[in-house]
Amino acid sequence: MPTLLVQPTAFTLAARYEALRATKMAHTAEKWQVVGAMNHDDWGLILPPPDDQEIVQAMSGSGVMINDVRLKDIPIERNHPGGGSYGPVAVGRSFRALLDRHPVYVDPASSLAGATMVNFMSYRKQHWNPDLDYSHLHAEQRKYQIHSGIGGAQHFCPDLAIGLELGYGGLLQKIAYYREVNAPEHDGFYAGLADVVMGTQDWIRRHAEAARQMAAAEAQPEVRRNLEEIAEMNDRLATEPPATFREACQWILWYLVTARMYDGSGATGRLDLLLLPYYERDTAAGILSDDDAAFHVACLLLRDTGYIQLGGPDAAGHDVTNPVSYLILEASHRLKIPANVGVCVGDSTDPGLLKRGVEIMFEDRLGNPKFLGVDRTTEGFARNGYPLELSRQRAYSGCHWLALPGTEYTLNDIVKINLAAVFEVALSEMLSESTHPSIAELWERFAAHLRRAVEVTAEGIDFHLKHMGDVFPELVLDLLCYGPIERGLDASAGGVDYYNMCVDASALATVADSFAACAHWVEGERRLTAHGLTAHGLTAHGLTWAQLKGYLESDWAGDDGERARLLMKKAPRYGHGGTIADDYAARIAQLFTELVKEKPTPAGFNMIPGLFSWASMIAMGKEIGATPNGRHAGGPISHGPNPDPGFRKDGAPTALAVAVAAVQPGYGNTGPLQMDMDPGLGRDAEGIEKVAALIRAHFALGGTQINLNVMDKRTILEAHKDPSKYPDLVVRVTGFSAYFASLSPEFRQIVVDRIVSEG
Amino acid sequence: MTIPSIDDSIFVQRFARQPSIVSILPVKMTISGLIFDIQRFSVHDGPGIRTTVFLKGCSLRCFWCHNPEGLRMTPEVQFLPNRCLTCGECVVACGHDGQHLDEDGRSFERQHCVACGSCVEACVAEALTLAGKRMTAEAVVAEVMRDRVFYETSGGGVTLSGGEPALQPEFSAAILAQSKAEGLHTAIETCGQVPWASLEALLAVTDLVMMDLKQVDTEKHHAATGAGNERILANARQLALTRKPLVFRTPVVPGVNDTAAEIGAIAAFVRELVSLRAISSNGNGPADISWELLPFHRLAADKYRSLGLEYRARDLNPPPKDQMAVLTEAALASGVAVRAN
Ligand code: SF4
Ligand code: SF4
Repeated sequence: MPTLLVQPTAFTLAARYEALRATKMAHTAEKWQVVGAMNHDDWGLILPPPDDQEIVQAMSGSGVMINDVRLKDIPIERNHPGGGSYGPVAVGRSFRALLDRHPVYVDPASSLAGATMVNFMSYRKQHWNPDLDYSHLHAEQRKYQIHSGIGGAQHFCPDLAIGLELGYGGLLQKIAYYREVNAPEHDGFYAGLADVVMGTQDWIRRHAEAARQMAAAEAQPEVRRNLEEIAEMNDRLATEPPATFREACQWILWYLVTARMYDGSGATGRLDLLLLPYYERDTAAGILSDDDAAFHVACLLLRDTGYIQLGGPDAAGHDVTNPVSYLILEASHRLKIPANVGVCVGDSTDPGLLKRGVEIMFEDRLGNPKFLGVDRTTEGFARNGYPLELSRQRAYSGCHWLALPGTEYTLNDIVKINLAAVFEVALSEMLSESTHPSIAELWERFAAHLRRAVEVTAEGIDFHLKHMGDVFPELVLDLLCYGPIERGLDASAGGVDYYNMCVDASALATVADSFAACAHWVEGERRLTAHGLTAHGLTAHGLTWAQLKGYLESDWAGDDGERARLLMKKAPRYGHGGTIADDYAARIAQLFTELVKEKPTPAGFNMIPGLFSWASMIAMGKEIGATPNGRHAGGPISHGPNPDPGFRKDGAPTALAVAVAAVQPGYGNTGPLQMDMDPGLGRDAEGIEKVAALIRAHFALGGTQINLNVMDKRTILEAHKDPSKYPDLVVRVTGFSAYFASLSPEFRQIVVDRIVSEG
Repeated sequence: MTIPSIDDSIFVQRFARQPSIVSILPVKMTISGLIFDIQRFSVHDGPGIRTTVFLKGCSLRCFWCHNPEGLRMTPEVQFLPNRCLTCGECVVACGHDGQHLDEDGRSFERQHCVACGSCVEACVAEALTLAGKRMTAEAVVAEVMRDRVFYETSGGGVTLSGGEPALQPEFSAAILAQSKAEGLHTAIETCGQVPWASLEALLAVTDLVMMDLKQVDTEKHHAATGAGNERILANARQLALTRKPLVFRTPVVPGVNDTAAEIGAIAAFVRELVSLRAISSNGNGPADISWELLPFHRLAADKYRSLGLEYRARDLNPPPKDQMAVLTEAALASGVAVRAN
């Protein structure tokens, strides 16, 4: 039996929830000790047994360096002199070798087996094959701090329905069938896919065997029965498709944990639709109660924090909200751990889902669920030239993103342009080259550089699409897409039907406020009416471009620098409403949108603009010098499309919601609103209704997605001082949620600043 | 300096003589008034999501008031010494010898200040702020309308608070009338210490009136607020005779009204209002009168300091939960529906 398991006091559902949560806390505490800070999703990952651990630095699926714990001695097939493992054959064999060595995980308190303990990516030392050179893009990628997405994995959505229908046996047959049809082409690709399936099957069988052995040794009859059921169920699921609700949850879990292990994928999609037939069948047959169904879902959510959409339209536009939608919401509520459940809010969507969602949000204070402006993303996606019937099927399945399950490849959330870097290039160029700098000239230069940044990004996307299939094909996600098996092509390489490449912009508020501060204090009317110089060598009402240059270069050094910094910070801010900064934010968002939509990539792929920084505000700010909005050199950039904290004295959520709605690019990708609220607001039905109204209004104004936290200032400040006192405090950091104590101190500070100024 | 007494403000007398002209004013006429804040996403001042406009100037001087910057009828400078960088810019900016910085340190000489705002503009640390800004009714409504969608999805609207909105009756009426013309729900929060005519004039453009009831004993009321309660109680009765939805609010303040007997007395008064309305409406329609108890909160210390005012409530403790429960009991015992917040 795995270590750290907490046994339920009795074999009731309530006690089992309790035990599962306690086990989760024990696992999390162990991770804090071994791994340290984790500024990313809580993946539901648990650590390998202590004697089988080794710690390495690794790049996460989202492109940040993390401390990673892996299993020792995995025989990775390295087929490159540099030590890399590339192409479907080597990757498939290596992943199978990992699965073969991966410990089993059976918790007698749970109704499902299986857990991920490692990232396969940690073993692939150099992710990108160095023979595929893109050094011609390096200089400009660095200049504009572009996250190119080259070599980035997953971040699109498989269709679980394929797997639920075929099971692993059926998938293996499908692979064999098309391998023959397409022979001798793509044989290596098929070999890789088959290795993944066979590795998974063996792993499932080992779980069945372990459960059987645990059952034999178990004295308590109910526990023994549960273990026997797990054994029987998994004997079948190694080859057969699931037949019951519980089996469907178990099958989905197998798929999600292998996808997670393979390359970090957490794309789940419309779980309420996927589980509905099983729910209907089992309840009609009298073999499933709602409480049991919620428990099975909770056991699934416990082991994978995948991104789930609840409710929303079907292809014809009819709302699909059903009893399972509520059960999933309830399961996350009963479990009370980080989860990424999204609730649709739309004209035709059941409003009860929103109401229940807000109630849970205030009752649990775990940043769960999040809210999806499904009508806006549907209309927006159609603007790319797709029919509404197709747009409606695009499902929420990642941090801030949506994808068509099984038919679309996107690179969502991993291609980003740092607007602050583009602005910095434009400003320093102007200040060093121009004899008469002006705000108009600054805008011109900014626009020109942004255009170039978008072009460079597009070239990077083409490069990725051209080679990714040969470097690191999506051997797990390909299984549940329409096309890769049929055509023998990886999803990144023509396997699926739609290619809509994500391009996000970060640091909107940093740049909008910088433009506004320059316009206001450097050449605004105030400066023209200034009454002379003061003792500090500044005009009382502004400063010159030359002075600004000096202050930025010295990072606002000295008393005068600090005064100048405060002056610049006092300028109108984006988010206040009706200010010059609000205008700049809208102009920048519009410019960015136009540049991304102006033309496809050189190879002809559609790009879709979004506004997001993920959790990279700290990393993206590190290399940026002081900015005219009063930000210090190296300080974090602003968060997604949000205004910076302190944008308004009252921090009014309505002002925030109006501001973020006004900058949406509008092509189906999102600019999520991050909002933090005081718990007092939801203390009665009236307050819940007001929050629901606020959410509806943001979407009516054009908003696309809302990440909400309910948190009182005192708790968050105390937790910041001593996180260990609040081990189960969960915050929605951005599109994902995590334990507050898991975040680095620097990162916690960002969350605290936001909550204290807005909450 | 202590809180200025009501008698030194001429406005009470001035508005006392004011006839009810506001209801006949053309809506579009440009009227301006003095406000000290516009707060969006206001959720405790009436139904739905609201924007609350705080008008400056009040006719009472409740010693626990949590909006002391709303008391005086004129703009005033707030100084927060803990934010001051002692840079001296304000000294240079002031032409009235209001700001000092020398060996003795940094001081603000309020008695010299004419509230011109120059120092406020010069202060980058935002240690100096100006409470009180003149705005036209149109500009106020334009600001309020930024959140129109939220009023629509929540059934909210605009609330005039203060200070005392009925002390600027033309300005208030213009804001309310223009808001109504935009289809918004309108509400006012009044302390009740105003001529009935001023209040009555606002009713035509007000959907909900929220009014404070602090004490039914006029002596005690005078001690706590600087004025007796005769006019307030009379106005409450007048309001009961109208068909307007009314919310009465009692801030529960230690030593002022925090005993079961005192709350019971207010409850009896509210019961009288409910029956007044029932009689006057002949049993037609609901007696839309409700009552709330709000525990005093000690949150305003910084504001008092910044205004150079003494905070007489600084040592008071908010009534604890169990005491609020006892008081709510006492209120309910009088047979009046009450909500404790
Ligand atoms: S300008 Fe502001 S910061 Fe400077 S001395 Fe005056 S109050 Fe202090
Ligand atoms: S408001 Fe005007 S008069 Fe008063 S201290 Fe400031 S500058 Fe001087």
